[in-house]
Amino acid sequence: MAREVMVTLFPETQAFAERRPEARAALSVSHLTKRFGDELVLDDVSFSVDEGESLVLLGPSGSGKSTTLRLIAGLESPDSGQVVIGGKRVDEVSARARNVGVIFQHYALFPGMTVAENIGFGLKIRRVKAKQRQPVIDRLLDLIGLADQREKYPWQISGGQAQRVAIARALAYEPEVLLFDESFSALDPQTRVPLRREIRALLRKLRVPALFITHDQEEAMELGDHVAILNRGRLEQIGSPSEIYNDPQTEFVATFLGAANVLEGKWQDGLIHLDSDRYLAPVSSVPPLTDGERVKVIFRPEDVSLGSATGLIETPYHLGRGEITDVGFTGASETLTVRLLTYGQSGNLLVPRAETGRNGLSSLNNNAPAEFVIKALRTKWEARKLRLRVGDRVTVGLKAYKALRA
Amino acid sequence: MGAVTASRNSGVADQRFDLGKPVGIGLVIAAMLPLVIMPLLSVFIFGMKEGPVHFWKVLSAPAALFSIKLSLLTSSVATVCNVLFGLLAAYVLSKYDFAGSSALMIIISLPTAIPTAVAGFALLLLWGKYGLIGYYLERYTDFEVMFTTAAIILANIFVTFPLAFGVIKPALDNFDRSYEDAAETMGASRWQTFFYVVLPSLRGALVTGALLTFARSIGEFGSTIMVSGNLAMKTQTAPLYIFTKFNEGDVEGANAIAVVLAVISFAVFSLIILFRNRLER
Repeated sequence: MAREVMVTLFPETQAFAERRPEARAALSVSHLTKRFGDELVLDDVSFSVDEGESLVLLGPSGSGKSTTLRLIAGLESPDSGQVVIGGKRVDEVSARARNVGVIFQHYALFPGMTVAENIGFGLKIRRVKAKQRQPVIDRLLDLIGLADQREKYPWQISGGQAQRVAIARALAYEPEVLLFDESFSALDPQTRVPLRREIRALLRKLRVPALFITHDQEEAMELGDHVAILNRGRLEQIGSPSEIYNDPQTEFVATFLGAANVLEGKWQDGLIHLDSDRYLAPVSSVPPLTDGERVKVIFRPEDVSLGSATGLIETPYHLGRGEITDVGFTGASETLTVRLLTYGQSGNLLVPRAETGRNGLSSLNNNAPAEFVIKALRTKWEARKLRLRVGDRVTVGLKAYKALRA
Repeated sequence: MGAVTASRNSGVADQRFDLGKPVGIGLVIAAMLPLVIMPLLSVFIFGMKEGPVHFWKVLSAPAALFSIKLSLLTSSVATVCNVLFGLLAAYVLSKYDFAGSSALMIIISLPTAIPTAVAGFALLLLWGKYGLIGYYLERYTDFEVMFTTAAIILANIFVTFPLAFGVIKPALDNFDRSYEDAAETMGASRWQTFFYVVLPSLRGALVTGALLTFARSIGEFGSTIMVSGNLAMKTQTAPLYIFTKFNEGDVEGANAIAVVLAVISFAVFSLIILFRNRLER
């Protein structure tokens, strides 16, 4: 288990893994770089996918995820870096010889062929005789539950069925790895969620390694054993869904996955100073910092605890007093917008002036009061215990936060 | 009050009886009558004047039948050549980007812009007895290109050159690359992808291109009369036959072939339109 984790997170150990075949990664890419004209689309990207594992490449449009998939499939060549499939380097190998299965965004089922013919295509071009193709096609049709659709044409079946056919078509010739190119984005939400669970279960059962490309973070969390976040061609972080969510290494990762509050402060004398009166005790995961260095404080809405204005709050970290400026009700939970209040020189409670630019930083330079606006999330029951409305004053505490160099 | 407002604001088009419709249609037909409809009708009326038996007798003159057969043959060969070339050129130009590709496309489309007499003359200047290549052909070989069936085929290929290409290229441009990508990642070679995935999707364009080429080619006159020598029973196509018979004063003979040519052309064009409509589905 430790070795698998190592190989996944630290591709330099690929060579080590290759000496021990049972730990061989099904797919690994190292230092992939690709330029289109002047634009650097992929910048030194490395990751790997183990046998039976699924990895999700998650990122916004233009982050380079589709390019990565095309480089792995062999539809494009990288400017530098290598792609290793099934233990063999495939940089010089054409797409047809790489033995990968690609499920495209709109499935690309051949329109002139029936479902059965589509599934059998990979075998047909490998010169497998029709008599030997039939049982494979039948077995796959049963696997995806579409035996009764075998004579239908691609335009006669639904999107969800088409995706299943695309998967069966790829599985027919037993590829080393399956690559899914945003293949759920063309489906309506009702079909999407059950289908992706079904496909996840199917891949698990078959122990087929898979790489998913998506910009939908909910999909990423559900589909992947590991998630890799791509931003403008750079791999920001790679880890399990809970690692990525609870322990983001960069601001981008923190804000891309779920909501995040970001405050800026200054490191001074072992504390993070958010403004002249507010400071945070450091979390254990604070990176080594020098005095005066800027720090980003990141926490999620559910990490915030709210108490009454005059009460005490039992959280490890405190943000002082705040005022509710908005309450959003979403059924199971409540999202509150809280403006943190600060004290003026005279000690009176002042409503701070709005500052331009990032939260807090400009105010540290000229000692003016800072304005911090954060979002807090409470469950229905917490909301019942302490009902809050716009204008209410509260005490704000933090259960946890993450500190990153600014 | 409401009724007054309604009638004041409604224009001619709002009334139940639209004068524009019958007048418009009438004008169109009236214009077409002397320009198009009556000339065509004349061919059929005059052709049937002496009755169908006589019509058939005139039609079955050996030179007449030969001219139709020759037209069908040369047009078919030219069609096959131009469709194959059109497919190749469309595939290369659609798939690959290279310097001079737009210039190449313009050159491919040129032949239709050139007057057919000029096209025929150009071929003579190349292949004729004193032509650039023809001179050496005549001196050193027994090969004769001009005034043969080959010359007619060459002329037809020239004037209908871009027609099939012009239909196949847009079809290929619209072809979704992801099908080719899919076939490639599944292990198909370039040929297998072309044969199993690309070609089937081009069926419509290929047929339409072929029909267009054939229709244009079967009526070709200007270039054919220059390169064929117009020898009856040897290099006289149907349009040439009509022209020659008319000049000789044999209006009946000309008429009979004119009817056949008209019917063939109608049939081919109807097929093209039918096919186009089915393709729009």
